[in-house]
Order: sequence, then structure tokens, then C-alpha cells
Amino acid sequence: MATQSVESDFSWEVKANSHHCHKDKLKKSFLCFHWGRYSDNVVRSYKYSPLTFLPLMLFEQFQRVANFYYLLMVTLQCVPIISTIPWYIAMIPLLAVLIVRGLKDFANDMARRRSDSQINTRPCDILISQRFNAARWKDLCVGDIVRIHKDQVIPADLLLLCSSENHSLCYVETADIDGETNLKYRQALDVTHSELTCHPSEESLAAFDGVVFCEEPNNRLYIFRGELHWQGQCHLLDNEHILLRGTVLRNTEFAYGLTLYAGTDTKILKNCGKLTVKKTQMEKVFNRLVIGIVLGVLLIAACLAIGSCIFSSQVMSLTEDLYFLVVNGNPVYTGFIAMWSYVLLLSPAMPVALYISFDLIHTVHSLFINWDLEMYWQEADKPAQARNTSLNEELGQVEYLLSDKTGTLTQNRLLLRQCCIAGEIYGDVSISAEDMEPMDLSWNPFSCGTLFMSAPSLVENLRGQQCPLSSQFFKALSLCHTVMAEWKEERPVYQAASPDEEALVGAARELGWVFLSRTRDFVVVSELGVTRQYQLLALLDFTSKRRRMSVLVREPEGGLKLYCKGADMVILERLQKDIPFQERTERALELFSQSCLRTLCVAVRSVPEASWEQWRKTLTRSATMATCDRDALLEKLYDQMETELLLLGVTAIEDRLQDGVPETISLLQHAGIKVWVLTGDKKETAVNIGYSCKLLDADTRLLEWQELRQILQAPDPRVSFHKARQTEVWAVDKETARPKTAVVLTGAELVEFDQRPEWGAKFMSLASQCESVLCCRVTPGQKADIVTMVKKHTSSVTMVIGDGANDVNMIKTAHVGVGLAGVEGGQAVQNADFALSQFRFLQRLLLVHGRWSYRRISTFLRYFLFKTCSFALVHIWYGFFNGFSAQRLYETWFISLYIALYTSYPVMCMAFFEQDASAENSLKYPELYKTGQRRELSSPLMLSLSLVYALYASLILFFIPYGVFHDTAFDYQTMAVTVSMAATFTATIEIILVTRYWTKFNFSVVCVSVLLFFIFTRIFQSSRLFQNSPIDFFFVGVSEKAFLDPVVWLTALLTAWVAVLPSLTAHGLNIILTINNTHKVHSMSTQPVELKSKFSRGSFGRSSFAISQGAGAGRHITSATHIHSRDPPVDKKSQLE
Amino acid sequence: MGKVKGKLGPLARRPDNSAFKQQRLPAWSPMLTANTVLPFFYIMALICLLLGVWLLLTVQSTREIKLDYTVGPCDKCHEKRKNVTSAAEDCKCTVEFTIEKRFKGDVFFYYGLKNFHQNLRRYMDSRDDGQMVGRKNNLKNPSSYCKPFVRDQSGLPIAPCGAVANSIFNDSFTLMYHEPSSTPVKVPLLRRGITWYTDKNVKFRNPKMNSSMNLAQVFEGTAKPLYWKKPVYDLDPLDQNNNGFINDDLIIWMREAAFPNFKKLYGVLHRAKKPFTGGLPAGNYSIDISYNFPVQPFQGRKEIVLTTLTWFGGQNHFLPIAYLVTSSLILLIAIALTVVWCKFGKNGKNMEE
Repeated sequence: MATQSVESDFSWEVKANSHHCHKDKLKKSFLCFHWGRYSDNVVRSYKYSPLTFLPLMLFEQFQRVANFYYLLMVTLQCVPIISTIPWYIAMIPLLAVLIVRGLKDFANDMARRRSDSQINTRPCDILISQRFNAARWKDLCVGDIVRIHKDQVIPADLLLLCSSENHSLCYVETADIDGETNLKYRQALDVTHSELTCHPSEESLAAFDGVVFCEEPNNRLYIFRGELHWQGQCHLLDNEHILLRGTVLRNTEFAYGLTLYAGTDTKILKNCGKLTVKKTQMEKVFNRLVIGIVLGVLLIAACLAIGSCIFSSQVMSLTEDLYFLVVNGNPVYTGFIAMWSYVLLLSPAMPVALYISFDLIHTVHSLFINWDLEMYWQEADKPAQARNTSLNEELGQVEYLLSDKTGTLTQNRLLLRQCCIAGEIYGDVSISAEDMEPMDLSWNPFSCGTLFMSAPSLVENLRGQQCPLSSQFFKALSLCHTVMAEWKEERPVYQAASPDEEALVGAARELGWVFLSRTRDFVVVSELGVTRQYQLLALLDFTSKRRRMSVLVREPEGGLKLYCKGADMVILERLQKDIPFQERTERALELFSQSCLRTLCVAVRSVPEASWEQWRKTLTRSATMATCDRDALLEKLYDQMETELLLLGVTAIEDRLQDGVPETISLLQHAGIKVWVLTGDKKETAVNIGYSCKLLDADTRLLEWQELRQILQAPDPRVSFHKARQTEVWAVDKETARPKTAVVLTGAELVEFDQRPEWGAKFMSLASQCESVLCCRVTPGQKADIVTMVKKHTSSVTMVIGDGANDVNMIKTAHVGVGLAGVEGGQAVQNADFALSQFRFLQRLLLVHGRWSYRRISTFLRYFLFKTCSFALVHIWYGFFNGFSAQRLYETWFISLYIALYTSYPVMCMAFFEQDASAENSLKYPELYKTGQRRELSSPLMLSLSLVYALYASLILFFIPYGVFHDTAFDYQTMAVTVSMAATFTATIEIILVTRYWTKFNFSVVCVSVLLFFIFTRIFQSSRLFQNSPIDFFFVGVSEKAFLDPVVWLTALLTAWVAVLPSLTAHGLNIILTINNTHKVHSMSTQPVELKSKFSRGSFGRSSFAISQGAGAGRHITSATHIHSRDPPVDKKSQLE
Repeated sequence: MGKVKGKLGPLARRPDNSAFKQQRLPAWSPMLTANTVLPFFYIMALICLLLGVWLLLTVQSTREIKLDYTVGPCDKCHEKRKNVTSAAEDCKCTVEFTIEKRFKGDVFFYYGLKNFHQNLRRYMDSRDDGQMVGRKNNLKNPSSYCKPFVRDQSGLPIAPCGAVANSIFNDSFTLMYHEPSSTPVKVPLLRRGITWYTDKNVKFRNPKMNSSMNLAQVFEGTAKPLYWKKPVYDLDPLDQNNNGFINDDLIIWMREAAFPNFKKLYGVLHRAKKPFTGGLPAGNYSIDISYNFPVQPFQGRKEIVLTTLTWFGGQNHFLPIAYLVTSSLILLIAIALTVVWCKFGKNGKNMEE
């Protein structure tokens, strides 16, 4: 083992048991200075400290361009020469925004602190001065030695030194990292194991003075390279020796580890991605628009300022009498002042109120999501939760849904639902597992009631020993596996490397073939109450290439038997010839795969003693050979052994989907959403799930890496993609049918994308034509990379749904992240924007809430733009008649109240309640969702149309009253009131046109708003207020007279009417033409999702064999390193015998 | 959230099943079709048409006469006002005109100015409403907004301060009726009670005074505006109650116009005596003008407007025509929509049936 090569890139040095040495080098930071090398193990996700809260919060607030802009506006308002409204009124909205946002930030930060401290105070045992002291996670430091108890979460990335198990093996559950719930093996180095376990552990561990050199912290979860220098020797380390933070220790009493990476250096946290504030697409478009408007306002103001300059210089040239009209007698200075006055006058086109209302609407929409009964999961008492309240409209635009598999699509519960023994099918899959009546298995003391197969005849057969084949079948299931048994409350609890195996062994246990325990050489099984011990001669391990595994055992009677289970394709070609029920079995296989069950063939062979002897000799010889030669030889050897099999039967395992998954996926696909599956799981499993959740069907062609690579390397991927499609025989057969294609990728293949960045765009253009993409065996980091790739190469909105810690990164990366509040812990939910309890709630979240939100918010935006711009731009036109002197056309109070009081509530009400189609219809006609994907309502074109419309309205709002009032005895103040009235009417009529869903709130609010205008105008122009403050309320008595003047009314009404005429025409046209469209929508039939797959087994080797991930499990079992301890009582007895 | 309400049990966090929270509020969504939309357009066109015709007829019934007296007979005065040195000199001129047809009912006498920007921001702000409402403090310390007409050279505060008051229109007119048979008769004009009620009684008040004081004493310590000939308390020698800040002419002037071309009321025909009881009879008239207000500096024009009014105001053709234009516009749209409907809309409907 010892090699002398010290690789230069192992720059990370960790000295065991040198707490102080590392403590000094801890990362520290003050303001923006950082020093030190090693992170401590404290999670700090909070942003503020009491001291920095105010400055940081303000800094962050004013980083938002809008807020900064408003601050500037308020500052300008403080200059009396240019102010349009008193500064103390102008302050109020900005202050409100700052306070509300500040409080929100404060609350969020407190919540973060709470969850941080929860994590930081988790217990762990640290070795300090020869004793393990109970400490907390945050006390852990690089170089510390820790003791992990069974079922404890590992606090940092550790080097496994030794464990309580033999050979320092230990088991970890990595559910939080890759979503797999099966157990993984980790084993300490031989040298540490032997040196550190023979003495009392504390002392020897305290004396341990090894130094580890390894890579700098990185995010590669499955790779670790390093070396341990100890006692003058150098030992290589790899992933096998590492316990990652976030994994859980299982089946192991104690494990001792040396902390290599702590806190933010750990691999899982390196994988977490950065927390970025998510911005919605609409916000981006909108921000651009705001900048556009602001620039436009500046430009217009500059033009008007030039006008003012010219006017002033004309005045100057005429006579000295009027010099006072020119500030400081300088026309240029006058123009400069006028410019800023105009900036202020036109700034209501983009009011702060917009941002406040925007936040408020988002919050209300989020509340609606929280309140929705149909997204409430009664069994767990969990309502849906909108954790991020600013992404609602994004839900209505999703085009790519990237889903995790385990725990999201599937329940991660595998059940044996059917089996076929000797051509006879047992069990009925049409009855769901919940509805099934459990069989009476009380005769079996080991039964736990976890069998979801109803086949009384089978039980009868088994108990009556009538059918030797079925006994053989279950014997095979109880012997041929790599499961470990652990005894809890007098019952064996199985720990399997693959959930399939666990399901099979569990089913065998229920039916009387109970796997009790295994030692290196023996497997103990209780067969209908009779304990029998089989000698395990060889375990022919599973590899993804072989797709089968076998055990060779010597029966207590002395016979040699080979039990084999594997993928149907592989087993069927290794059978003896002329098996009586082969045809029936194949029919059963077809039937099973139609019901989307995972099938495994089980076979047996009696091995003659002579051939075993010979085979064993070759096997022993192979052990001494070089690795690559050995593998080839083993392959051949195994092949020799696994022939002439006798088919016993087929198992059919159901990978339970979450409720309603196929229906939801089908609905979402109808809505134009592309569903991708990203999973850390194996390819076979992923494809199988793809079939069972209707993501793929029999017509779908799977495009795998080789072919994809060729297409991507071709100069024009689109052409070759079509060619690839067409060359398929079946595609030619059905010329008209658009061939469906799905891409299947694995993590290893995705790495190539990193090297060839140009492939990303090609791949996305290809993927956009595919039904779906399945990515298997991807790390959390890769999941996020895929999301980034989709985001980068399309303009679509991506949504990610996942439930585990391994999904956190992609949840953070995607536009919208949804966390399923599942069993895998709360990490995903903690980082998600929306938390749901069930996958199927997604349809309501997207198609109902998302669609409504999108519609409401985009309508709101367009309306808001219209009402503020039409109102503010009037001043441009007035400029032409008042020498560009920035004279306002409204009373100051009207300017501040128009947006806040007279027109805001109806549009808010609309944005809260508007429904163009009921929730039922939204789900019934998923096509309606496409409006959002195409951004029909929020496209830059639509927004600019609104702007043009507003410009038109402002022209009308000014020029009709101008026509009426110029050259008459009407004064400026009456004109101002008339234009205000017209503007209010225009905004009101427009909102009446826009609102399609009139609740009582809408009705009353529209009426109240108009009334408010009249009431407040009268109040602000009343004598009493004037007497108190003549300067603020100088419009005294105007409305009293104007509201009774028929000319004012006729003018205001005509103005409003003409101003909304384009909108009215557009609505009219729309109504006349939509008869067609609604008809179309209603005639569109949505077929119910057919749950049976039309798949025929022979078409392309769709095998559903999925046992363990890669080779490995068997090695531990058969190698001398492993003997499971804690033998069951039965086992001991049998050994005694 | 449910916890706040203190619900207990397994369904503690179950959302309320209320119409509001479940977004099932009863609502009216108008199902509009071509059958409702098209008639609506036609009816709106009709309403606008009727309003337009009615207004037009109303406007037609008014009589109006406009006399631009900037130059013409007053040319010499105009020249005189060009020169600053002769600004203080009086200048009178007479404009003659004929009324062909009798002005029936109330006749209103306006003076009009063209190209006088009363709506300039700096001009408009240059006033102190606090002073005008009679606040003693503001009387002695006018607001800085009045700049540069806050104080005169000797430092006395100007009352009323500001550019607006300073530039008051100070031409005066005497309307004479030349009866064919006899000597010219002065046409009686009501020069008071022509302001808004709120202006006269709320917005403009003289500073409070004891019964022993007269107006001149109240305004002691203030200066008259620069361009004024008379102090503010002596504007109307005939009526003591029309002096100070509550002088009708001042009030009317202080109500600034929205546009550079505007009219302001000078007086209303007093119909108490013959032959003016029924309005202005047809015949020859002349107006004696005391020509004081210079228009040359701003290249403006001055005019006199005599007009009768209806409920709708004076002769303003814009509104009726605007209504008629709108009406035809809506009609055009309605026809276009009908055509569209016939071509495309109906098909859909047929398919539905």
C-alpha cells in the first residue's frame, strides 16, 4: 500500500489531534478582509448582525435601482425651486417601502439564525485530551477526532479511522446527498483499523498522529484523493474512506473519524450553490422598461429644458421688465432648473407605489397558495407553502420542469405485487396496494404484514408443499441477494444495498422463507419454520453489464445449487432448452411490463460436484492475476457457471409512484411543459420510472449517448437529428406521426459537456424537440449545471421540484424551486420557493395559481403603466403652452393621491381576484397555460403597446380640455380639476374594461374610488383647510364650482371616452373574434391518461432489472473482510448444532 | 398560520374553507358577445351625435363680438407704452363698432389677452396667498416666492406682493351706446359681484382691522406694487368695500389663466334701465379705453369681447364639434366591427350551433 509519491496538488494538510494548530488557522473575516485557511464547522446563513443591520439593509435596499431612483426623486423634491409636491409628502411612499422591506428582511434573518443555531447545536462527541466529550457541531474543528453514534448525522467530512464493526466497516445512508435510501459501505484503512482498534480506543485515538494530505475542498461528491502519512508510511486514500457531512451512520454502533473538511469546506456545502435572490422574468422585462421610462423621462425633460432655454432667452431679448421670469437672468440656468422640475413632474409615470403594490399582490397571491384546500395534504397536516413571495407569475410561464425522481415522482417504496411461478401468475396489480385486503399470514411468526400481494392459492401451494417450483422460487429469493439482517425486537430487519432486494427478501419472509442471517460462509434461512443453513460457496456479483447475480450454495443435504436472478433478457437466453412454461412466462413478462412493474427472472441450476471443483480451481487461480485480466476471466467464468438454468419464475415489483404522478405529468405535457427527470439513481431505474409515470411511452425512442454524441458532433445537429429519427424503421412506417424522442444521459456523459461548451446550445435545440430528457447518476452539482444550461440556452422559465438535500443546489439555481415536504428531511423545503406535500399538487400550483398570477400580474402591470404614464405625460404637452416652465397641470394633492387613492384599489382588486377561467376549467384545458409560456401578456411588444396607448391617452387628456378652455374665461385651476377628473375617469373606465371577474369587492372598490376622488377633491379645496394653510390648499373653492359646471363635466366625459376608445375597440374586436377561440378551447378534448402502457417487451430491450448500483456489495460479503456481527439467536443455535 | 387561531388537533393547519380564501367568491363575469358589443358602439355613437348637435345648436344661439384694440385706433397709445419713460403718462383712445343684431339677455364684457403667459411657473408661484387672505405676518413679511417683488427699494414690504399682482391688467373701459337720435349713453356695467363667491369671501380677505381704523391705516408700512399707480387700498375710489385685497378686478386677475390666450371678465351689463333691460340693442357703440397695459414687451394683443352666454358658456365651438367628430369616429369603428363580425365572427357562431 505504501507509496512514496507525494503529489503536489495535495495541498490540504490536516494533522490529527492538533486542535490548537488548526484553530489558529481558522478562517476569520472582518468587514471585507478574510484570512485563515480552515473553515470552522459553524453554519452562518444569516446576513446581518445587530450592528450591521441598518447600514447593510439600507445598502441593499438602495442597490435596487428603483429605490435609489426614488431616493433621488425625494431629494430633488426638497429643493423648493423645482419641487412639485412638498418633500414630506413625497417621503411617505419611499419610507413605507423601506420599512416594509426592512421588516421582512429582519424576520427572514431571524428565521435563518434560528435554523442555523438548530444545526450548529446538534450534538457530537469530540476527542479532547483522551476523552470523548459531548460537544456541539459548531465546536468541531479540522483535525479533531470525533465519535459518531449509530443513526447520527455526520457533522463534517471525516476520514474513517475505525469503527465498532469488524474490519472497521461502516454503513452510511446518503439520502441527503444523492437521494438513494439504500446503504453504502465505507471502510477504514487496514492500518488504522488494526492499530486503533486493538487498544482501548480513546487512548489509541488520542495518540494517533497521522497527517493527511489531500485535495483542496471541492464539490466532487464521489471523488476524493489524498494520502495519510503515519508512522513513516504513506497510505493512499479514496472516496471509500470518507464519511461525508450530511450522511447518516447506520447499522454501526460507533465510527471514529478524523475531520478533514469542516463547515463551508465540506463537499455537501460546496455543492449547495450560492444563494441568489431570484428575479422573475417579468421583473427583468419590467426593470428594463423602468430604466427605459426613466431614461425617456430624462430625455424628454432635457428636450423640454432646451425649450425652456429658448423661451427664456426670447423673453430676455424682448424686455428687461420680464427678467424675473428667467432665473438669475440666465436662460441656460433656467433650462437646467426646468429640466429637474420636469424630471419630478414626469416621475409619477414610474411611481414607488408600483413597487409597493407589486409586493402586496405577490404576497396576496402567495397567501392564496397557502390557503388552498386542494393543495392541503391532510395526512401530514401540511398546506402548501409559498416561501418566496415574489415568484408567483413565474409559475404561469414554466416551460421546463426538472424533477427529481426518488421521493418526488416515486414514493421510494418498492412492493412485490405479482409473481409468476411456473407460468402461473399470482397477485393482481389492478387493485392498488392500499385497497388490498391483506392475506392471513398469522401462521408465520416472522410476518410483519408488509406484503401487498394477494394470492391465497400461492400460500396454499407453499404451505402444502404441493408445488416444488414455488418453494424453490422463494428459496431462491431468500438466498440470492446481498441483504444484511439485523435483529430488532425478535424480528429480522433487512438492510439492503438496493430497495428491490429488500422488497424481494421481505416478500419471501412474509411467505415463510425467512432470511435470518448471514456469515461469511453461511446463509441461514428459516423455511416454513425449519431453520436451514446453506453454505455459501460463491457469490457471482451484479454488474450493470451482467445485469444478473447468482449465488452458489451447498444445501444442508449436500447438493450444489446455483440460484440466479436477473434481467429477463439475460436470463432467458441462458435457460435450458424446452422449458414447458417458457411461453406463458414470457406472456407474463409482457403483462407485467405493461403494468409498469419491474421484473426479475429467477432461475436455478443444480451444479454437479465435478464442475464445481474445476470451476473453483480456476477461480482461485484468477485471484492472483492482474486486475484487468482477472475481470475478463471472471466474466468468462461466471458465464460458464450461469448456463443451463431452469426458470423458476418472474417477480414483478412495483416502484410506487406518488399519487397522481402520471396524470399530472400528462396534464403538464398538454400544457406545453417539458418534464425532465434528473436523478442520482441508475439509468435502468430512471427509464423504468419514465415509463411508469407516462413520461415515456412505447412509441418513444430513447436517444442514448453514443447516438447523441454523433448528432452533437455533426455540423448541423438539427438535420442529423431528423435524419436519425427518419432512419428508424418504425418512423417510416408511421410517416405522419411525429416520432417522440427522449434523451437519456448519465452523469459521466454530462462531464463531456463541460469540456465542450458549444454543445450546450446544440443540445438544447435538440432537447426542445424531444419529449423529455432523463439524466441519471448525476451529482447535485450536475443537476444544477443542467438547470444552468437550460437557463442559459433558452429564454424559458425553469422549474425544479425535488425533496432531498441533493436537490437543494438545483432548487436554488432554477427560476422556481419547489420542495416536496417529504420524508427525506426538510432541506429541500428550506431552500425552496414553494413547498408542496404532493407531486400532484403541482398541476394546481402551475395551471391554476400560476396561470392566474401571470395573467393578473401582467394585466396589472400593463394597466399600471397606462394609468401612470397617461397621467404624467400630460405635462409634456402642457409644456408647449407655458413656455416649458414645468408648470404642473394638477393640484399637488391630486398628484400624490391619484396613484395612492383614486386609482389604486380597483386595480389591486383586479390583481387579487381576476379569473379568466375558473380553476376547474384551467385544469380541464391545459392549453390555456401556453399563453404564459409564450409571454403573450407580458411581451415587450405588449408593454410598449401599453406605453403607446398611454401616450395617446395623455395627448387626448391634454388637448381636448385645451380645445375647450383656451381663449376662454376659464382659469388654470378649473382646467386642472377638469383634467384630473378626466384622468380619473379614464383610469376607471379602463379598469372596468380590464376586469372580467366582478366580485362584490371589485364593484364597491370601483365606486368608492371614484367617490373618493370627488370627496377628497372637495375636502382639499375646502375653505377650512385653506384657512389653516393657504399655501398647501390654494385650490380653494375650485371644485365647488367646477363640479357643478356642465362644461367641465362634458369635457371630462368626452376626454375620458375618447382616451379609452382604442382599448374599447380592441376589447370589442376581441369579443367578436373570440367566439372562435373559446369554441376551439371547448371542443378540444383531453383524453384521460391511459395508465396501461402500450409497450411491447420485445421492441427494445426495456429491462427493468435494477439491483444495486454497480458492483461492490457482493465483494464485501464474500471477501474475508466482512462478517456481520450480532447474529440472531436462531443463528447461534444452528451454529451450535 | 393556523396555530394563531389556536386550532388544535390533527388538522390544525388546515386552511379555512371560505369562499375568499379558496378564491371562489361569487362573481359576475359578463359574457359579452357581438350582440351586446355592437349595439353598444352604435348607441354610444348616437349619444355623442345627439349631444354634439344639441351643444352646437346651443352655441349657435349665442352672440359674440371681438374687438382687437392693440393697434388700430389705439396705435399711438401702443407706441407710447413701448417707451418706458412715458409709462406713467395717461393715454386714451376710442374704439367704435356696430352691433348688427341685438344681444339678448345678459351681456358679458371681457377683456382678452393673447400671448400673455399667466401660466409660467415662476410667474404663477410669485404670489403669497397668506398675505392675500389677510395674515398680518405675511403682510409685513411676504413669502420669498414673491421674489423679486417682495420689497421695494426702500425695503418696505409690497402688498400685494409678487409678479401676478404687479402685472395687473390696468386698462379701463367705458362702453358708450350711440343711439341714432340722441347723445351717446353710457352703457351701465356691473363691475362688482363678478368674482367667485369663495374668492371674494374666503381666499381674499383684507387684514383684520379695528373699527376705528380705515383701510389705509391697515396697509400702513407697505408699499404698492412697482407697476401700480394706486395703492391697493385705493383701487376703487367709489366703493370702500371694493378696496384692498378684495377688489374684484384684483381677484379676477389673481385667478390665473391656464393658457397664454385668455379672457377675463370686466363687467356684466346692468339691465336695470332702458334701453338695456333686454340686453344690448343693435346699433353703434364706442368704447373709451384708458390704455395703460403694455403688450409690446411680450408681443401680445389685447381685445374686448362682448358676448351673451347660455348654460353652456360662451361661443365655444370646440366641444360640440369634438362630440360630433367622436360620434362619427365611433360610428366608423362600429361599422368596421360589424364588417369584421360578418366576415369572421359569424362563422364561429355557426360552428358552435
